[in-house]
Amino acid sequence: MRRIIAVVMAVSLLAALGLWLLPAQAQQPAAPPTWKQGQPSSLADSTLAPIPQPPAPMKAGDIPVDKLKAPPGFKVELWAAEINNARAMTWGDKGTLFVSSRVAGNVYAVVDKGGSREVKVIAKGLNLPNGVAFKDGTLYIAEISRISKMEGIEDKLDSPPQMVTVYDTLPKDLPHGWKYLAFGPDGKLYFNIGAPCNICLPPDTHANISRVGTDGTGFEYWAHGVRNSVGFDWHPVTKELYFSMHARDWLGNDSPSDRLDYAPKKGMHFGFPFCHQGDTLDPELGKGKHCNDYVKPILKTGPHVAGNGVMFYTGAMFPAEYKNRILLAQRGSWNRNEKTGYRVMMVTLSGNGKVAKYEPFVQGWLQGQEIWGRPVYTTQMKDGSVLISDDYAGAIYRVSYSK
Amino acid sequence: MPCAACHGPDGNATIPGTPSLAGQPTFFTHWQLIKFRDGRRKDEQMSPFAANLTDDDMGDLAAFYAAQTPRPRASAADPARAAAGRELTLRHHCASCHMPKLQGQKQVARLAGQDLTYLLKLLRGFKAQTASDLDGTMTMAAQPLTAEEIENLAHYIAGLTD
Repeated sequence: MRRIIAVVMAVSLLAALGLWLLPAQAQQPAAPPTWKQGQPSSLADSTLAPIPQPPAPMKAGDIPVDKLKAPPGFKVELWAAEINNARAMTWGDKGTLFVSSRVAGNVYAVVDKGGSREVKVIAKGLNLPNGVAFKDGTLYIAEISRISKMEGIEDKLDSPPQMVTVYDTLPKDLPHGWKYLAFGPDGKLYFNIGAPCNICLPPDTHANISRVGTDGTGFEYWAHGVRNSVGFDWHPVTKELYFSMHARDWLGNDSPSDRLDYAPKKGMHFGFPFCHQGDTLDPELGKGKHCNDYVKPILKTGPHVAGNGVMFYTGAMFPAEYKNRILLAQRGSWNRNEKTGYRVMMVTLSGNGKVAKYEPFVQGWLQGQEIWGRPVYTTQMKDGSVLISDDYAGAIYRVSYSK
Repeated sequence: MPCAACHGPDGNATIPGTPSLAGQPTFFTHWQLIKFRDGRRKDEQMSPFAANLTDDDMGDLAAFYAAQTPRPRASAADPARAAAGRELTLRHHCASCHMPKLQGQKQVARLAGQDLTYLLKLLRGFKAQTASDLDGTMTMAAQPLTAEEIENLAHYIAGLTD
């Protein structure tokens, strides 16, 4: 928390630089809340604000799953419900689905009982535990400033073992401090350390994707200039990293675009906070900078769409052309007058880091300007069907295909 | 439910240090109950009560209190402090989440007319980084406040009426 303060002070100082020369008696305004930071005076009357997370999930019977539309031949059904704030998903070796949450503070185990699913809370009261990853019988959980593990959890779902810290030398900032967590092809845990602000010059320790070994050693930064990425995956063939990134707010309805990025090697810089969407300098922090000095997105996914989960499809159930396509779950906008996102998109690559096609896969959470759900992550089932988590309705849907 | 003993039959408490719940937004009360139950927010009185609440209980309680009409507390507000506190609410952007009359919204607490002792306790807790906070916003907001400013803010807020 001390670190939050240092950063907030630094941010407010930056914002106030222009006020240095005012008479001493003038009171400087304090830093606004993070979500409002960077709002220009021309938008001071805007009523846009982040969409609050409901405290309770929707009842299974109230979920309008029939509104979800997928391409011909695909079926979308409700797979599990009443999982408050359901977000990231990872499979245990024995078929348990582990599900994270953010503000609900819970980690869940979902046990498939054939026709129905049983949901158990295996950890509660955690600090925004968005990241879950599983390997060799052990569940890893990422909170704001701690990665911990539960060994042998699948045999102890009703009396979960103590969480043992793996790595906690991490910033304590809450803004963009929640983590996506996944195992890379090198067997290391990858996670994001987001910028602690909407827009600011972040400390060197922030705005990156990092990795560390499961024994807590070998920490290093993998990608820089990443405002916040809460979704990534590795190409099934090339084993190279692809990730989603949320762009800054308060630059208008249609700019800047969120992005899909490609980081085949360590040490690349993706532009934040100087250059947005690969070609647009930040009005303040971009002064004197050049967008060509930074890595450009492989795809502009659209302004404010909030791309979260990134997953390569590798299953055998969907038609052959779906293999190695990226499913990108977009949680949807708040900082835009007309809502956008709230859908799962599909990206077809034509080569390493090259996009051939970008099209909707599942949509319908947004009806007119009303939302009833927010898709956050996807995961694949053994049979090749795909699960989609929805943190707003607290539900998981299954997408299957038959000819 | 034993809630009324401390919070009043209609959510308007009279015991100094105990918050009024009348008029609190449903999301706010519901989230606080969740945090008492899972241990993120701790209180000698509240933690044991919340431990046995079901999700539906929490939703019903939150809806009940949101429907009650809030009345200002009897806690006396010092006019000089309140005047200074008003300026502070502007400088510290309180209305951007708590709304212009500090009446709260969604997951954000109603503050107007709340008990003075309770407001002081909470603000001091946020400043000390010991108060439970859903997303860190209040902890950050309280950091620049001096002890004197916290007093002034609390007096202004406690004296607000719709």
